[in-house]
Amino acid sequence: MVMKYAFKAMGGPCVFRIKARSEHIAYDHAQAAHEEVLRLERRYSRYREDSITSTINASAGKNSVSIDEETYRLLNYADTAFKVSGGLFDLTSGVLRRCWDFRSQTLPNQDEVERTLTRVGWAGVRFSKGEVFLPDIGMEIDFGGVVKEYAVDAALALLKKRKVEGALVDLAGDIGAFSNDPGTPWDIGIKHPRSPEKAVATVQLANSALASSGDYERCIVIGDRRYSHILNPKTGWPTNNAPLAVSILAPNCLVAGSSATIAMLMHSSAARAWLSELGIPWLLVDSDLNTYGTLAGI
Amino acid sequence: MKNSLFVLSIIALTGCQTVEPWERGILAKEEMQWQASTMEARFRQQMFNSKEASSGTSGAAGGGCGCN
Amino acid sequence: MGSNTLDKAKSPALAALLSSAVLLPAYQSAQADAPPESSEIGFRYGKYQEDAVAGGDTLSGEKSGRYDIDVAQFNLIVPVGDSWSVGLTGQWESMSGASPWFSVYGADGQQKVIMSGASIEDHRAEYGVEARYFHEEGNIGFNYVNSKEDDYHSDSIGADASLNSADGLRTYSLALSTSVDKITPTRGVAPTNTLKADKDIHSIWMGVSQIINDRSIFNLGLGYTQRQGYLTDPYKYRDNRPDNREELVLSGGYRHFFDDQNGALQADYRYFIDSWDVESHTLELAWVQNLNNDIQVTPFIRGYNQSQANFYSDVVVDTGGYYSDDHRLSSYSTVSYGLRLKKNFGPWRVSATAERYESAEGGWRYSQVPNKALVDFWGYSLGFTYNF
Repeated sequence: MVMKYAFKAMGGPCVFRIKARSEHIAYDHAQAAHEEVLRLERRYSRYREDSITSTINASAGKNSVSIDEETYRLLNYADTAFKVSGGLFDLTSGVLRRCWDFRSQTLPNQDEVERTLTRVGWAGVRFSKGEVFLPDIGMEIDFGGVVKEYAVDAALALLKKRKVEGALVDLAGDIGAFSNDPGTPWDIGIKHPRSPEKAVATVQLANSALASSGDYERCIVIGDRRYSHILNPKTGWPTNNAPLAVSILAPNCLVAGSSATIAMLMHSSAARAWLSELGIPWLLVDSDLNTYGTLAGI
Repeated sequence: MKNSLFVLSIIALTGCQTVEPWERGILAKEEMQWQASTMEARFRQQMFNSKEASSGTSGAAGGGCGCN
Repeated sequence: MGSNTLDKAKSPALAALLSSAVLLPAYQSAQADAPPESSEIGFRYGKYQEDAVAGGDTLSGEKSGRYDIDVAQFNLIVPVGDSWSVGLTGQWESMSGASPWFSVYGADGQQKVIMSGASIEDHRAEYGVEARYFHEEGNIGFNYVNSKEDDYHSDSIGADASLNSADGLRTYSLALSTSVDKITPTRGVAPTNTLKADKDIHSIWMGVSQIINDRSIFNLGLGYTQRQGYLTDPYKYRDNRPDNREELVLSGGYRHFFDDQNGALQADYRYFIDSWDVESHTLELAWVQNLNNDIQVTPFIRGYNQSQANFYSDVVVDTGGYYSDDHRLSSYSTVSYGLRLKKNFGPWRVSATAERYESAEGGWRYSQVPNKALVDFWGYSLGFTYNF
């Protein structure tokens, strides 16, 4: 039987679907996986004073902060993504949000953006197995770009370890699934960026993850120009002609999510070439609502 | 008999394909385990041990019985 | 499938991301060992009926029924915390019938079996307890088993450990066990060869299991067992066996899952050789077929073939040395075949099996000194398990 377990975390609605021998066995495991998601949220949320993120950011420009193995590996992963994306994937770019007000529908002050840009720069971050140091006061690390997707994988790993027959983890749109029986995969619909009740494509997940990045809600529209909330760390502005939405299918959610984020920071045509070369199933919707990619039209 | 052992050793020597953790769903199925239903397997083995001169499968000998 | 499957040949960017991700704790622990996902309780009942010995093969000229065995089994396994599991087993058997006492040559020069006239009634009760600890790289188990019947008492302890390789594709296992048995044969109509005797059994086993690809695995095993003490059968006339027996077992197994058929092939082979010169080969094959509605059908077949012990003779001879005419130490082969059916009903699983076992004198590869007392039997069993 399949049990549905819903809760709120990571900034949105979350759902587990667990295949187990009985409802109460599934519930027991769902609770444990829920706890794991909350653990990661508590540890890495920049909104919580007791999170490692807040501690690191408060010490920026002053002293290094000691970190555990998991944090070190996340920083290491972010570093790999930074290199692989030619500097587009940058965990220190979060501070740029201070310049932008997407609710007001007005553009930021360019001066402000340029001053804030001096506080952005992953290349300056020093980290090692036991500690991390942000060199300038005002620099910030935002794990938001990795922790939600990592939490999908962590919850799934916990459920696998507990030997459930199959599970689907959906944390506010980032999804991972496994099934001991590949004959019955999970069917997922990828939301259309402008009409959420429509699916722009459907995907079958047996032992893989689907992550999506898109400016479904937050963007600024002035005249016929659209400004996505996904900001390029090199300019402080969204990339021109960036895609509207990208979805990627990968062996784990972390890689799916960061690849999607990277694609959202390129021109649509550059993104399409990069995704094609990456070699995993992808879907891209550009600002003219054209769909591209191996997942399109399924 | 000899052929299958030969094939098995060849597989061992040539090295095996990497199987990522997310690809192991099938291997977790009951029919892919070395010993499925413990009760039935245990008793069947005991029956064979008491009717034949040989004994032993996977695992050490275990307890005895007067099984005649 | 086509271009939407995850291609094995990865772009450098993807490879870099994946290998960096895999170092994170979440991906590491996915490979760790863990206790079962839920508790499980099970019961099983079985009935085994040996074919009668034909009238032409007994000295009395009368057909003689052999053993009927009824067995009931119980099994409980409970995960405890994140790293432990505890198990309890129970087995009760009730045996009745006659068994061969000894053999002589009849008037026609053929071997004739003399059965232990009066019907034997024996009951056995066995209890076992096991504790298992799971850690990042594998697990360790300890068990104790106690078995009691009117004429036989056994205490055994065992320990086993398994270790997973770093890439999770290989598992190494080691098992050790020791048992101390006491025999006090019940004197019936026929005299017994001893009043009271002991024997010890020590055993060690090592194995390795390897994942070949995402659909197949194989294993290899090596076992050594030593039995010391009273190894003679107390109920067989003039039976006199050495007080020491060493055994070596080499085994191999293979499992392959076929997506298109939704079924799995199971193959297991065992080679056995001991210090009494008994050598045997065993091959078991099964095909597990999954059907709709949570049903599984498994036809299976087993072939066995053994050579005779070096002190075996088909009829009683007084050599003054080691001797046995026990058909189980003769040279013969057997084939058994059967069908197993399983069905899931949510947390319940029911299974039923029927098996036919037939022995043939001599046969394949070994010189033949046939024995008329070879046994054939039917076995039936029904069981269920419940997860909670």
